[in-house]
Amino acid sequence: MLHEQELKTFVEGTTNFFEVTAQQPASIGSPYLMEGSPAVHEYTGVINISGKREGAVYFTAPKAMLTVLLMKMQENDFSHETMRDLVGEVANMISGNARRDFGRDFVISVPSVLSGEKPQIRHKPGMRSFIIPINWRSHSAKLIVALT
Amino acid sequence: MTLAGTERRRRQLITAGLGTALTLVMGTVLIMGFRLATHMRANIGALQTASTLQIYPQEISHQLNSLRDRLEVRAYSGQALADLQATVKRFDQMLNELGVSAEADSPQLHRALQLWHQYAPVLDPVLSFNAQPYVDSDTAGSSLSREGRQYYAEVKRAQLFASDSAGALQGQLAALAATLQRTCSDAAARLRMLLLAGVLAALALAGAAGYFRLTRSSHERAAREAQEQTRDILKTVHEGFFLLDADYRIGSVWSEALTRMFGRQDFAGLSFEELLKDLVAPATLATATKYIKLLWGDRAHENLMKSINPLGQLEIVMDNGHGGKETRYLEFDFHRVMGPEGVKHVLCAVGDITSSVRLAHELRESQENANAQVDMMLSMLHVEPLQLMAFLDSAETSLNLVNGILREPARSDAEFRKKLGGLFRELHGIKGEASALNLKSVASRVHALEDMVADCKRKPELSGSDFLPLVLRLDDLLAHLRSVREMGARLTTLKESGPAAAASVAAAAPHGSAAPRQPRPVEDLSSALQSMAERLAEDHAKRFRLTVSGLSEVPPSYAATIKDCVIQMLRNAAVHGIEPPEVRRAHTKHDVGAVSVHFRKVGEGYELVFEDDGAGIATEALKAAALRQQLISEEEARSMDTRAAMALIFRPGFSTQDDVSMDAGRGVGMDVVARSVYALGGRIGVSTHPGRFTRFKILLPAAQAVSSAVA
Repeated sequence: MLHEQELKTFVEGTTNFFEVTAQQPASIGSPYLMEGSPAVHEYTGVINISGKREGAVYFTAPKAMLTVLLMKMQENDFSHETMRDLVGEVANMISGNARRDFGRDFVISVPSVLSGEKPQIRHKPGMRSFIIPINWRSHSAKLIVALT
Repeated sequence: MTLAGTERRRRQLITAGLGTALTLVMGTVLIMGFRLATHMRANIGALQTASTLQIYPQEISHQLNSLRDRLEVRAYSGQALADLQATVKRFDQMLNELGVSAEADSPQLHRALQLWHQYAPVLDPVLSFNAQPYVDSDTAGSSLSREGRQYYAEVKRAQLFASDSAGALQGQLAALAATLQRTCSDAAARLRMLLLAGVLAALALAGAAGYFRLTRSSHERAAREAQEQTRDILKTVHEGFFLLDADYRIGSVWSEALTRMFGRQDFAGLSFEELLKDLVAPATLATATKYIKLLWGDRAHENLMKSINPLGQLEIVMDNGHGGKETRYLEFDFHRVMGPEGVKHVLCAVGDITSSVRLAHELRESQENANAQVDMMLSMLHVEPLQLMAFLDSAETSLNLVNGILREPARSDAEFRKKLGGLFRELHGIKGEASALNLKSVASRVHALEDMVADCKRKPELSGSDFLPLVLRLDDLLAHLRSVREMGARLTTLKESGPAAAASVAAAAPHGSAAPRQPRPVEDLSSALQSMAERLAEDHAKRFRLTVSGLSEVPPSYAATIKDCVIQMLRNAAVHGIEPPEVRRAHTKHDVGAVSVHFRKVGEGYELVFEDDGAGIATEALKAAALRQQLISEEEARSMDTRAAMALIFRPGFSTQDDVSMDAGRGVGMDVVARSVYALGGRIGVSTHPGRFTRFKILLPAAQAVSSAVA
């Protein structure tokens, strides 16, 4: 069973990003469970985890949210690559938080990014993920924690 | 003194001894050589003199001859005499010098001196002549004067003596020279021998020094190798080792594992207290310090001390190297190092036992899980497989509803708070069923979830973070239900050992809640209710008998509702209705209470009557509880009639019990019953008499044709 602190570490990594880069905190929506492969937005940052836990953590955000976030960061470049870099940065911050809190217990991969019209993530049948909505301004992204 | 100190001292002594011996040998050789050289030099001088003296007797003889010849021919003889005088004087002087030198002291010299002493008087008249040897006359020309004639006679006598004894004197002097020559040769040989001995002694000492140096360097090499090995051991060993001195300070040598364990390197001179100060609680630190002091006592028994070691498993929190913190477990072991005067040091061995502690923890958890599974299986043995599967289906459906409630988007406190009521109702239903089937592990998990929902309710401001523990528990519960389902399948296979049974169980075990469910026949709840009644009576120290009739007649579409209602009312009866036996006796009632459940068809519809002969419901108690829970105001309470007061029990959140237990206190029981009944188009009524009975009557319309029950 996943521990509350583990979930909190991933959540903090995500909300910290908004706090630091946009100077505007993000809030957590109502968390829930999802069996099978969850749907994701256009841009998804992924960190794969092994060691004490096995699986992956995803931060998935819609393009609209990332655009506003870039504007807030006073960026002028709203290209596909910049959006990819941005979700990659969020994943990087989640990874940094996890390294800080879990140390050698977790082996964390370098963040990767999925993007496109309908990118898909595939989970084992019967595997449940924790979906934590990340609300920022009027937008909503998702943090997906799929660990066993 | 240490072994290394003794060895060092020994080496110093040997070096000093060798140095002294070399100095003595060289000093002796030099002094003796000097003396020999000095002696040789004197001998050589004497030899030279003796050699020179050999020619003098012959020379004197010649000069005497020359003097005689001159006198005979009346030639000038003054020069010849002067030469003779000089020769004799030199000979005499040299011979006398030789006589006083120790080197030439020999019989030959004595003999030569003796001969010379005989010779000298013969020569003296010649040498001392100082008159005119000639007289001149016109007639005879030059002739010898009287003194000249005497002088001539003396010369002749001396010349004759010289002819006789010059050879002897010369022989003695030659023999003396030969003796001196031998003496010189002997001295040279001695000097050679001495030098050779000195060189040999020096070589021997140099050899000894070389051997010693060789030995020393091999010792040093061995010591260096030993040091390197010690360093390698200290570098490689996984345990932390260090020595504590009498001031409880760490020595200058320690194993590198300490650096990893404590995340520091400044151990030398660090006190034991400083080492642990920031890592352990003050009380533990104080105990540890006292313990270390005890170790220095001479009478402390090591095994006994080991048994009271307060640092056998020390939990410390330290940097994880990534900017965060981690908990690690260290084991300290102490050994006293004894010297001739008692305890010299305390050797401290520190092991990182984090893995073992975690493994033990996991093993314990695994053992507890195994025990829980055994308990679970034992309790499942009493449940009909179909009843169990029906419960699991129902529970999973409810939990999916719970997840659905959680999934509804929420940003504000009000939106989060709105979810709580729905969560309570769904969870309560599952708990009721689990309790009825005596599935304690499920019931306790749901109860914990209910506790979390209740915690959320008490918080002044709700956010998504407050729901994180809840969703984790929900995941755990779903996982548990899945394992119960698998266990049920295995049990059924074991019990029936028939392929048909296994197949039916497998079919009833869908992986995931999305699988379509087959309608199940309505099971007879009687046995489950009897089990639940027994558990409730035991848990609440009550005694009552349950009578059930007609439940097999419940149409499938009402099965779930009737089951939920009966379970809830049975709980209420056990917790609130039936009095403890001593109270019942005091009210002249039978010790064992009576609870009855009757279901029957009435006209087009159905009737369920639930009755207990307990304390009844006191309307004043209801009002007081509602006031306490701020569900009504005091004014409302005063104006409330009996009917309105009785209706309070169907209000959401109402409970007469202040403490929450597995079976009551949430205030989500009777409102769920009422909602379910109303949802089916039915009615519910309650009648009671304080001290005598409580009766619930549920009327339901004719059942729908299509069964949608999840029994």
